[in-house]
Amino acid sequence: MNRRVVAALVAKDIRLFFRNRLFGLVTVLGLVVYVGVYFGMPGSVDEDLEIGMYAPVVPPAFEEMQPDGVKLETVESEEALLLAITDGEYPAGMVLPADIMQKFDAGLKPEIDVYLWADSPAEVGEAVEFLVTELSYAQTGQPLSVQVLQEVLGPDMLDRQIPARDRMVPFFAVLILVAETFGMASLISEEVQRGTVTALLVTPVSVPGLFVGKGITGVCLAFVQVALYAVIIGGMESQPAIVLLTLLLGAVLVTGVGFFVAALGKDLMSVMAWGVVAMVVLSIPPVSVMFPGAVSGWAKVIPSYYLVDTLHQVAIFGAGWADVWRNLLILVAFDLGIALVGVATLWRKCR
Amino acid sequence: MSIRRVGVLLRKEFVQGPKNFIFIYGVVAPLVISLVLSLVLGSLFSEEPRLGIVDEGGSELVALVEAVDSLEAREFDTAADVKGAVAKGAVDVGVVLPRGFDAAVRQSVPTEITAYIWGESLAKSRAIVDVTLADLTRDLAGQEAPVTVRFTMLGKEGVPWEDRMLPFIMLIAVVFGGAILPATSLVGEKQGRTLEALVVTPTSLGDVFLAKGLVGVVLSFVVTVLLLAINQAFGSGAGLLLMVLVLGAVMAAGFGLLLGAAMREITTLFAVFKMIGVLLYAPSIIYLFPQIPQWIGKIFPTYYLVQPVVEISQRGGGWADIAPDVGVLIGLDVLLLGVVVLVVRKAQQYEV
Repeated sequence: MNRRVVAALVAKDIRLFFRNRLFGLVTVLGLVVYVGVYFGMPGSVDEDLEIGMYAPVVPPAFEEMQPDGVKLETVESEEALLLAITDGEYPAGMVLPADIMQKFDAGLKPEIDVYLWADSPAEVGEAVEFLVTELSYAQTGQPLSVQVLQEVLGPDMLDRQIPARDRMVPFFAVLILVAETFGMASLISEEVQRGTVTALLVTPVSVPGLFVGKGITGVCLAFVQVALYAVIIGGMESQPAIVLLTLLLGAVLVTGVGFFVAALGKDLMSVMAWGVVAMVVLSIPPVSVMFPGAVSGWAKVIPSYYLVDTLHQVAIFGAGWADVWRNLLILVAFDLGIALVGVATLWRKCR
Repeated sequence: MSIRRVGVLLRKEFVQGPKNFIFIYGVVAPLVISLVLSLVLGSLFSEEPRLGIVDEGGSELVALVEAVDSLEAREFDTAADVKGAVAKGAVDVGVVLPRGFDAAVRQSVPTEITAYIWGESLAKSRAIVDVTLADLTRDLAGQEAPVTVRFTMLGKEGVPWEDRMLPFIMLIAVVFGGAILPATSLVGEKQGRTLEALVVTPTSLGDVFLAKGLVGVVLSFVVTVLLLAINQAFGSGAGLLLMVLVLGAVMAAGFGLLLGAAMREITTLFAVFKMIGVLLYAPSIIYLFPQIPQWIGKIFPTYYLVQPVVEISQRGGGWADIAPDVGVLIGLDVLLLGVVVLVVRKAQQYEV
């Protein structure tokens, strides 16, 4: 295998890739859109239910026994409370009567007004009612006979919750990688159809050299873009070496898939058709990060699971080499297997 | 122009079409996108706490929990199942109600239950589940609440995200089926040189354009109707809505034919679609964000399709409400079809 020839092949393929208006545009536009969406989404999670309260007299239980995750914030007047709710500061607010303590002491039922913003989520109204009632039980000295013992499963993420945009990062990473598969597959398929692959083989380019050249082009295109995305969104802050290695393995994976898709497709249309199938399959594991519990254990048979899981573990839970080496090893095995199948299928077609 | 030949071409398009990727994509993509968006909007941005519950002794608490709005309850068979669901994040909190739970609560016998909490669940979700369970347990015990809560709603209810997405999803169906299909079909015929072969037969270029345009109109119309039905967005004026959808499909098909006539390569066509896609979808994007002045949408032609559909399906509007916009839509259709006719005539003059 001649290195100079392989380098020339890579340079030619990259030029051809960007000469294709569709893939050139998708490459640039895709990155801009994914970065835009990421920064357009909230970067923090609103963990607490904040409720406005106007109370001339605040019962001690309402002040001292608020459960974690609920904040009763007192305002100066009923008018201020209504204004704050209509301004979207609170989804709901309550007004406690001035004689609330006297009524509690006399065994009477005070009336508490709860104001709800019409756009508030449906669960808020009833949640506030339950909260007010529970605090009132506590104030009137009526303990619950049931004691609830709490056991947290997995790392407790209180005060360090994962924003939705960070849950979407593995999904975007897979989309960026797969988009390059389309371009690579289309380039190869075009070369096979036009017979330029066969023409190349009568030059000093060897068969291994040809596939290595195509492979390097595919990996470079996919890796550079996804790594750039990771840098821009700050994905390299934790364990950059693991992140880069994982993305590189992801790029190898989609290049192997690209070879396979190129072998199946006859033209741009069929490449896109098969590419969409590959994209859908590879995008299933990221769904399990976006919607925890939505995807069952069978998603582990999809290679992108190990890419997504590693990125998620590293970025969100600060996992290190000891935590993710198994994932990386499995990903390497998948890479080798898929690349071999891809090259074999493509070579069979070229012959 | 021969109706019989157009019919033959149409038949060919419908028989061969389902083998074409774009045809399948035009049908499947809008439906899948619609389902995915419903899932995303229903789950990704929902903060409704999810409670998993195992009932080992026929507790009445399960029915009470299932009836409340403050959380979403899901029943599991065994403690291991609910624990597994919590560990995976399928539910925020999981509880196991032991045998004799109701009797113990009613007799005020001190009872302990374990709540499994998903580490990534929000503090407010845990709090809501906690107070909801406590309050319902008191109901079960027959305790009388020490307060009366009165509710007052403030403000006007906004348009939910699912409804705001409707124009966007609808435009995907209209553009995919109505515009992209005729355009790719025409460019494909040009690239494969089958268009040249066709026009040396008695078939005219007008026949070909009409057949491809009709396929676009039919596909766009059928998929859009299907989408609106799935999203239960027909409103009260189904007849009016169908009329608007036909006009929208004609606009999309006219636009697709023009693009197909102008482009020579499929990759260029897709690149152009990518670039101008923003303009086509702009009214639906503006509708997504009520903070943006809504008059801006009127600059874009697809506004005159989106607006009547929103008016009928979401606001219960009638003919009087949509007449001006439909008038503009008809005008746009006539204009586009006029340009298509001119393009066909010019192409016929020089032969393809």
